[in-house]
Amino acid sequence: MKIACVVHRYGTDFAGGSEAHCRHIAERLAAHHDVTVLTTCAKDHISWRNEYPAGETRVESVRVRRFPVARQRSLNRFKDASDLAFSGTASEAEQIEWFRENGPDVPELLAFLRERGHEFDRVLFWAFRYAEVYFGLPLVADRSILVPTAEEDPLIRMEVLAPFFSLPAAFVFLTPEEQALIERRLAGPLPPSIIVGSGLEPAGPRPLLRLEALGITKPFVLYLGRVDPNKGCEALMQHFVRFKAEHDTAVQLVMAGPVNMPIPEHPGIKALGFVDDQVREALLTGASLLVVPSRFESLSLVLLEGWNHGLAALVNGHCSVLKGQALRANGALYYHNYDEFARALEYLLANGSVTTELGRQGLDYVEREYRWPSVIEKIEDLLAQLQVQEVRRAR
Amino acid sequence: MIDVDRVMREIEDDVRRARRKRLLARGGAAEYRDADLYEHVDIVLRRALEARDHGALLLPDFLSSDPDWQLTTHLRFSSHRPVVGPVLIFIKRRLLLPLTRWLYEYSLENFRRQQKLNTILLACIEELAIENAKLRKGLEGVEGQERREGQERPEGREGTHA
Repeated sequence: MKIACVVHRYGTDFAGGSEAHCRHIAERLAAHHDVTVLTTCAKDHISWRNEYPAGETRVESVRVRRFPVARQRSLNRFKDASDLAFSGTASEAEQIEWFRENGPDVPELLAFLRERGHEFDRVLFWAFRYAEVYFGLPLVADRSILVPTAEEDPLIRMEVLAPFFSLPAAFVFLTPEEQALIERRLAGPLPPSIIVGSGLEPAGPRPLLRLEALGITKPFVLYLGRVDPNKGCEALMQHFVRFKAEHDTAVQLVMAGPVNMPIPEHPGIKALGFVDDQVREALLTGASLLVVPSRFESLSLVLLEGWNHGLAALVNGHCSVLKGQALRANGALYYHNYDEFARALEYLLANGSVTTELGRQGLDYVEREYRWPSVIEKIEDLLAQLQVQEVRRAR
Repeated sequence: MIDVDRVMREIEDDVRRARRKRLLARGGAAEYRDADLYEHVDIVLRRALEARDHGALLLPDFLSSDPDWQLTTHLRFSSHRPVVGPVLIFIKRRLLLPLTRWLYEYSLENFRRQQKLNTILLACIEELAIENAKLRKGLEGVEGQERREGQERPEGREGTHA
């Protein structure tokens, strides 16, 4: 089968997000299909500045065609467009303008889809919020499969998305909550769809790195990812400082990831900044538990990664995806406010055997649902189902 | 096997008890001395906070056609002057806005918080209205049942033992 994968950025530089999801799936599909990735020359998702050379190249085993971004993102214009689009009074044109300002603006990629999209049997699109998907998918709707990576953020309520979501021939969802979110926005029935999440490789052997050298002492609670108010880090740090003030405990909060906000000066909080794979593995192996404070998640690979290491978690219960995952896996507790955060953290730190068991149950869940062979098998089944439908329609 | 749902119910009960105690100690509503009553209040308000889709509330929908009720958190540049209008818009957008953007964004953040609080209050009102409507419906059902039972009773039966 000839398959195109459309995504806003592509390369081995991107360890997470829809970019990594697309790359892992494209690489595995390329073993049995003729796969081409259609993407931009951008490396930075804030400015969309062109950094990779335009044209055809190969990344690992996959053919990649890069198109130049015509216009970098103006953050001020984008902020203004966002204020307007999410005000609840935006017109259709103003809502569509938001996608233009969000970018990436890649007219050559759109022209390619318009002129040569029919050469592919299937075109997979990742992340509906980006311009190349919003404007590109309608050009090849009959053969399109959307991986929406939708979150419960204000964007999902945009009225222009209702007709957009009725276009794809099929959907690949990351969680049942995401499927329910999209179904609520659809006017008609849901086309063929699967819930696959993402695949994970089993965790490697215990790393030898000593965390004491980094100033980390056990027990510690681990936050992994971008340290950003949008990820719930501001509330997390406030909760933790208050918890330390109210409880006589040596527990530390270790924040591992690029820092985009001020970190309070507190002996209990240790911000490491970006960490390499070796440190990351050591943190996941040594932590008492993982904390995921984000309100908006479409999957949370970090939570799965924690479970992959047998680590229990404490997650934000306002995020239906995180709460759903916690309940399905029986691998995490959740909180909606400081009182619940403090009580749950106290409980997990005081009941080591329960915490260990929750981590083990999380690992069992990953083994059941999130290994690559089963993820790819589901995608192959969907591709086959669409082919059968097409043959039936042609008769 | 650890059941997260069960553990969370225990944690939520602990938190509810502690909060009720704290509120009563601070002089909160005397009705909260009744733990069952407090639990009902807690459930209704939490449902408004957590379970309702805050983007699909009835009151904001009633008010959506009236611009006077809308908290405008965004800037729209326009001018009614036919000739100098575009120049004025250019000055506002390209010169004045960049100079005052820090103040605009500071106030915008606070407007957003206010809007969030308004939405939650509207959700609470809606939850109470739903609760009220359910109780009314239940009450009407009970009254209807009593009426039917009264009609079915044979005439003069009340006086048979007199």
